[in-house]
Amino acid sequence: MASNKKYWKSVEELNKNSAIVDTLKQNEFPEEIPTDLFLGDKKTLEATSTTRRDFLKYVGFTTAAVTLASCEGPVVKSIPYIIKPNDIIPGVAEYYATTIADGFDFANVLVKVREGRPIKIEPNKDANGTTNARVQASVLSLYDSLRLKGPKANGAEISWNEADQQIIAKLNEVKASGLPIAVLTGTSASPSTKKLIAKFNETFENVAHVEYDAVSESATLDAFEEMYGSRALPDYHLEKAEVIVSIGADFLGSWQGGGFEAGYSKGRVPTSGKMSRHIQFESNMSLSGANADKRIMAKPSEQNQVLLNLYQAVVSGVVSSEATPLNVAVQKAAEQLKKAGSKAVVLTGIQDKNAQLLALAINKALNSEVLDVSATKNIRKGNDADVAQLIADMNEGKIGAVIIYNSNPVYTLPNSAAFVEGLKKVKLSVAFSMQDNETANAVQYSLATPHYLESWGDVEIKKGQYSLVQPTIKTLFNTRQFQDSLLAWTGSKATYYDFLKETWNTEILGDKSWNQALHDGVFAADAVQSEAISLEVDLETAAAQLAEVKGSDLELQLYVKIGLGDGQMANNPWLQEFPDPITRTSWDNYLTISKSDADALGAVNNHVANGALNGSMVELSINGVSEILPVLIQPGQAKGSLGLALGYGRTQGLKAEMQTGKNAYKFYKNFNNFQTGATLKLVGGEHEFACVQLQNTLMGRGDIIKETTLEVFNDASLDPKHTWNLIPVVSLDHEEVEASSVDLWDSFDRTIGHHFNLSIDLNACTGCGACVIACHAENNVPVVGKDEIRRSRDMHWLRIDRYYSHEEDFAGDNEVKENGKGAMGFKKAMDALEDPSENPSVAFQPVMCQHCNHAPCETVCPVAATSHGRQGQNQMAYNRCVGTRYCANNCPYKVRRFNWFEYPNNSKFDYNMNDDLGKMVLNPDVVVRSRGVMEKCSMCIQMTQATILKAKKEGRPINTNEFETACSNACTAGAMVFGDVNKPEDTVTGLAEDKRAYHLLEHIGTKPNVVYHVKVRNTQEA
Amino acid sequence: MSNKVVQAMYNDDDILMDAVKEVRAAKYHIEEVYTPFPVHGLDKAMGLKGTRIAITAFMYGCVGLVFSVWMMNYMMIEDWPQDIGGKPSFSFIQNMPAFVPIMFEMTVFFAAHLMVITFYMRSRLWPFKEAENPDPRTTDDMFVMEVIVDGNESELIAFLEKTGTVEIKVTEKH
Amino acid sequence: MSSHYEAPIRRPLIVGDKSYHDISVDVAAPVEGKANKLWWTAFSVALVAFLWGIGCIVYTIGTGIGVWGLNKTVGWAWDITNFVWWVGIGHAGTLISAVLLLFRQKWRMGINRSAEAMTIFSVIQAGLFPVIHMGRVWNAHFVLPLPNQFGTLWTNFNSPLLWDVFAISTYLSVSLVFWWTGLLPDFAMLRDRAIRPFQKKIYGLLSFGWTGRAKDWQRFEEVSLVLAGLATPLVLSVHTIVSFDFATSVIPGWHTTIFPPYFVAGAVFSGFAMVNTLLIIMRKVSNLEAYITKQHIELMNIVIMITGSIVGCAYITELFIAWYSGVEYEQYAFLNRATGPYWWAYLLMMSCNVFSPQFMWFKRLRTSITFSFIISIVVNIGMWFERFVIIVTSLHRDYLPSSWTMFSPTFVDIGIFIGTIGFFFVLFLLYARTFPVIAQAEVKSILKASGEKYKKLRDGNHE
Repeated sequence: MASNKKYWKSVEELNKNSAIVDTLKQNEFPEEIPTDLFLGDKKTLEATSTTRRDFLKYVGFTTAAVTLASCEGPVVKSIPYIIKPNDIIPGVAEYYATTIADGFDFANVLVKVREGRPIKIEPNKDANGTTNARVQASVLSLYDSLRLKGPKANGAEISWNEADQQIIAKLNEVKASGLPIAVLTGTSASPSTKKLIAKFNETFENVAHVEYDAVSESATLDAFEEMYGSRALPDYHLEKAEVIVSIGADFLGSWQGGGFEAGYSKGRVPTSGKMSRHIQFESNMSLSGANADKRIMAKPSEQNQVLLNLYQAVVSGVVSSEATPLNVAVQKAAEQLKKAGSKAVVLTGIQDKNAQLLALAINKALNSEVLDVSATKNIRKGNDADVAQLIADMNEGKIGAVIIYNSNPVYTLPNSAAFVEGLKKVKLSVAFSMQDNETANAVQYSLATPHYLESWGDVEIKKGQYSLVQPTIKTLFNTRQFQDSLLAWTGSKATYYDFLKETWNTEILGDKSWNQALHDGVFAADAVQSEAISLEVDLETAAAQLAEVKGSDLELQLYVKIGLGDGQMANNPWLQEFPDPITRTSWDNYLTISKSDADALGAVNNHVANGALNGSMVELSINGVSEILPVLIQPGQAKGSLGLALGYGRTQGLKAEMQTGKNAYKFYKNFNNFQTGATLKLVGGEHEFACVQLQNTLMGRGDIIKETTLEVFNDASLDPKHTWNLIPVVSLDHEEVEASSVDLWDSFDRTIGHHFNLSIDLNACTGCGACVIACHAENNVPVVGKDEIRRSRDMHWLRIDRYYSHEEDFAGDNEVKENGKGAMGFKKAMDALEDPSENPSVAFQPVMCQHCNHAPCETVCPVAATSHGRQGQNQMAYNRCVGTRYCANNCPYKVRRFNWFEYPNNSKFDYNMNDDLGKMVLNPDVVVRSRGVMEKCSMCIQMTQATILKAKKEGRPINTNEFETACSNACTAGAMVFGDVNKPEDTVTGLAEDKRAYHLLEHIGTKPNVVYHVKVRNTQEA
Repeated sequence: MSNKVVQAMYNDDDILMDAVKEVRAAKYHIEEVYTPFPVHGLDKAMGLKGTRIAITAFMYGCVGLVFSVWMMNYMMIEDWPQDIGGKPSFSFIQNMPAFVPIMFEMTVFFAAHLMVITFYMRSRLWPFKEAENPDPRTTDDMFVMEVIVDGNESELIAFLEKTGTVEIKVTEKH
Repeated sequence: MSSHYEAPIRRPLIVGDKSYHDISVDVAAPVEGKANKLWWTAFSVALVAFLWGIGCIVYTIGTGIGVWGLNKTVGWAWDITNFVWWVGIGHAGTLISAVLLLFRQKWRMGINRSAEAMTIFSVIQAGLFPVIHMGRVWNAHFVLPLPNQFGTLWTNFNSPLLWDVFAISTYLSVSLVFWWTGLLPDFAMLRDRAIRPFQKKIYGLLSFGWTGRAKDWQRFEEVSLVLAGLATPLVLSVHTIVSFDFATSVIPGWHTTIFPPYFVAGAVFSGFAMVNTLLIIMRKVSNLEAYITKQHIELMNIVIMITGSIVGCAYITELFIAWYSGVEYEQYAFLNRATGPYWWAYLLMMSCNVFSPQFMWFKRLRTSITFSFIISIVVNIGMWFERFVIIVTSLHRDYLPSSWTMFSPTFVDIGIFIGTIGFFFVLFLLYARTFPVIAQAEVKSILKASGEKYKKLRDGNHE
């Protein structure tokens, strides 16, 4: 409202021309302001040092200072080369050919080195080297922060000189005392090491060299020796096989050292309408069993029977009396074997000399081309008898000194306690070890050895096939090779390198060049055509003895997992987090048990609120030895049999997070993976599994994994697109056309430049998982640990889905689905399909980002952080991502991975990305993602770009099949083929057009750049 | 001329309406009427022109639409056409279906806000603006009619008193 | 009195013997009076919840989204559920003030002020979630098409999430000005009644110096009308666009063309329920029974009943279409939704949203204050579960069985949700004590038409 108020000061104002009012009008203040009070006081004013200007200066300075302080950025130290090594160009990777030979894995590999750091292991394809998950991951063990960092005497650090003096002194004492010196090593297959030990023997007399494999193949070696004279492993060329019958042999796992998947897969791809037929008799569901055309469950004791019957049927044509289903299967197998004749092979994993003899005999009878007895393998040499004898002698004090190398007997021996006792009784006990493991802590002297990537050496993997081991980095710690130590102790001044070179020049190379051999990493001696001698063996008694073996109601079959192997790499987070191909469970070992046995026992597997898997705890005891273990109900587990993985439960030289599972070696009595007389007792409590796949069946979704049989596949009269490789169709102008041919939009021109495709052959893929680890290493994928895996937050860019069928095969599942008519019928069908069959057929499917040309994830990103590249990749701009996770929700393949936490430099995730050493493995070409960012497979764009640049620098076009990704490079089986579909000569171009080719979930219309190939099963019974 | 006004206060909207009609019939000039709530038909009775604010709203809406089209065309088609999920970014029209929602939102946004701002400006409404109603009761239950004193003041007052006013005040209009 | 004629059969919207001045007094009463114990207890409870929520948000931003229960398969759960739920609630206000204004529904005048307040407060809650659900909140400005040093780095206008950004911000700001413009005369009333200088200053400031000239009123009415005309399609568009987040995706159970109408109906449904919840309390606490009458409640209940039935139809249609599509993924998605591991959530949704509103067919029930109150709560529980069911059950089992998993919330998920409820009531309680909770100017304009006293007089004359 209006405010024209007039305020009165006093009544005086009423009186016109009043003096007071006037005076008041004149001066502003009614009375004087007492300014003199302070201004008058000159003294104090002058006394003060601070003038007005000073004050302003202070203000100005503080403001400036504060501002500057807030401008300081983080300091990142980076040290440049002062003198650049002339063979290192920063940013360009060097490759060195070397060989891994850790006693369990033997392979010719290429090591990718960046700025002097080995960061990745690749197969040395020129030397037809192959890599499995463990070999791929072995590079991380180099950067293990808990390695043995220097020589120790009884736990106290000492110098190498002191160690040498003391040890030599003691050795001489022992020599004087006349007691033998035992050298206990894992299989080294190294000619020069063998020679060196001989030299060592010359110096110190009666040195006994005992070789020992944690996971024994002794039975096979003995059998082969008895039949073919040499103590070695035969080789099998599975690519030649038309029929493979395996009795408990997980040859796609680590049976006889593994390395058979390449040949096997070659034989499995139905080019020209032919593929091998694979029949597997086994108790545990193994990788081989999962890939078999026909898998018959047989508990270990029954496997002996199977082998016997097969032997009878094949060799002497006798058909076993009673026609149990098992016998029928055996007869069928026998017929097929006989039909295939020399193109057939029988493999067995039964750790019994007699069994191995019979298997060899069958192959001999078939005169199998698959079995190769001339070019034998040296990758397993362990002799159980010797080891047993050694332990006995040690305890009787008959041994003067024990020198252990490349072996962890204290952990791996079933009777480890006895061994430790024995160690106390010897004068000198020395362990050469890379890790500060159980053995290193049980001996007097634990001497640190370098990782194979820091060492020199040689390996004769196969007869006449020599490989070299060369260092790719200067030793990280104060370590010295076993061989150098031996040289030092024998008083030689030479280094092992000199010794090695000399040995090669004199004995192996002949007139060939050492440098060339070193460059290639391998050297093939001129094959000496020695006709393999074959001795007469009394097979009747062998058969008789095998028949003697008694079974029991509950039998234990010990096995090794793809991930941890014999357990020497237990401190490797990549392998710990690697999901087992079969159970898809990581960070654990567990007792696998059949559904019916579990029900009988009352053991359960159940899912908690967030879906994670839990399992009951049971106490397993076998003649006196017992352990509390979680049970995992395993479809395809033979009734009355149990499975348990070796290699877990290590406790020393491991981070707390890595101390997973229970040690199963204690059950490994007589080094036999088959143990009878097991008893189970349900104990309270539940175990928390870290399982990455919670739904085990395919739910009858036949279009995710397309399958057909060889007959159908070979039937030329059928049009694949309408029969066994159905593709979605739509009606356009009342014409039925392929859905993929109809499009709402003008599509982008993808014919110019490169356009990458990845082809995955479901027939060739064995599910071995080498690609998973390769991807891990190449792309700096973080390890998240058990708890996060339980929360379904695994970060793997590439996963291998494993599906069980509900019926005996997936075709059956589809029928169940079809027959589920009506709402209730459908519900019943779906509920049923959720549980796998007792003996399911299994399918593997590697899934990574499908790089859809019409990607659902791209459209929904509000900030355009993910969009399509010119070369067909679906690209992520991590810096742009704000982490709405909309893309992951909208991805039909669920391949996008979100950084739920800050994984690097976070003590809550104390894996390789949390310590400076572990970070050395990171690939500098791939950014480490920060918290809150979505990440996924990039089709290894850093690799394809590098290839393009290389060609550009060399001024040439890209060579055929030059493009590769980490996964396709690691795939031994040749299932993954990567390339440029705009290049007609690239293999992938043909594969993308192949009649078996299909896209995952094609009906959504995402137009992926990843192509799968229909899985063909050979169901031809003889 | 003088800016003297007579403020006649009423306590009922119907009486006010009649009064307004009479006053205008008597050719007096109504300066302003203050009411606590919208009295329907008052503007007609006073002979106020209709407001054109709705038209401005329409125009603002058009501006919004054009702006959104320009913005999205520039950002998605001209400045950086990307391959996003294979959606054709070759021309605006091909990509347009995806832009419709935002085109609509921007239209509404511009229309609504600019119209309201216009209203506030024209009616002189903004924070810290001093209120100018002659009497606080005009926002409660009283109605005030301001009539310009043109010529004989007492005559006007007498006339207004007949219209059923409850209170009459003569003030200077600033 | 012809201008004020209203059919005698219409029940009065303002009961009791009220004069214009009485209305001012009644509306100003809660503002001028002191807060009672009840208000203080309610306020402190809400405040505690609010602070707890802030704590959880800080923890999330400091540690990572991992502190929520989400996983590789279920990338959204409570966050977006809460978002959609709050947006839905936010629809009633605009609907009441805009749509009912266009339909010339006088009964809106008693409740529109509070309904709009509720709209604004709940949209604030809703807006919170899309922001905090980001993995990198500190880069939230990336979703705005801002010029930047990279030059050509813009947002993706194909993304429904970006449409949300525009829709929600437009909706929030337009509702705000709509609300404020309506508030001006009422603030002016408070200003001119105010005795304490502080209050006078504040309300003077808030009222933008409203004087109530004839011309202002003319514009005021025009502006309200046009704003209503704009807000009506806007309010429909907002939830349509929210539903696009799901409808435009490829996930079975999300990829559904029925979503836009279905979501809008659901929004009105939950919104009206929330209005009921609030007004039933407020009319008592601030004794405004004369202006928010049983009749208002009853009319609201009828709307709830109708929209509830529409939502019900939508649920059934979904199931039917899933079956009719013949697409096994689609069929499984809905089978799993209804009978899968989250069957209980589906059951809750069905019973709360489809069955409970059917009671409103009975006049006795829909005119019973307590019953309406209970139903209004039940409905909002149901609507929360509807969103949960849509989001989680569709995601947790989609195309590839290998990535199927489950979701379970952590205490942080729950804490943040409780926090927003607290925040909402903090705002609303403050509003109830300081704002004119009834559009008194508008109510005055219908006093003679629909006021009990005047109707009596008039109807007397008619006989």
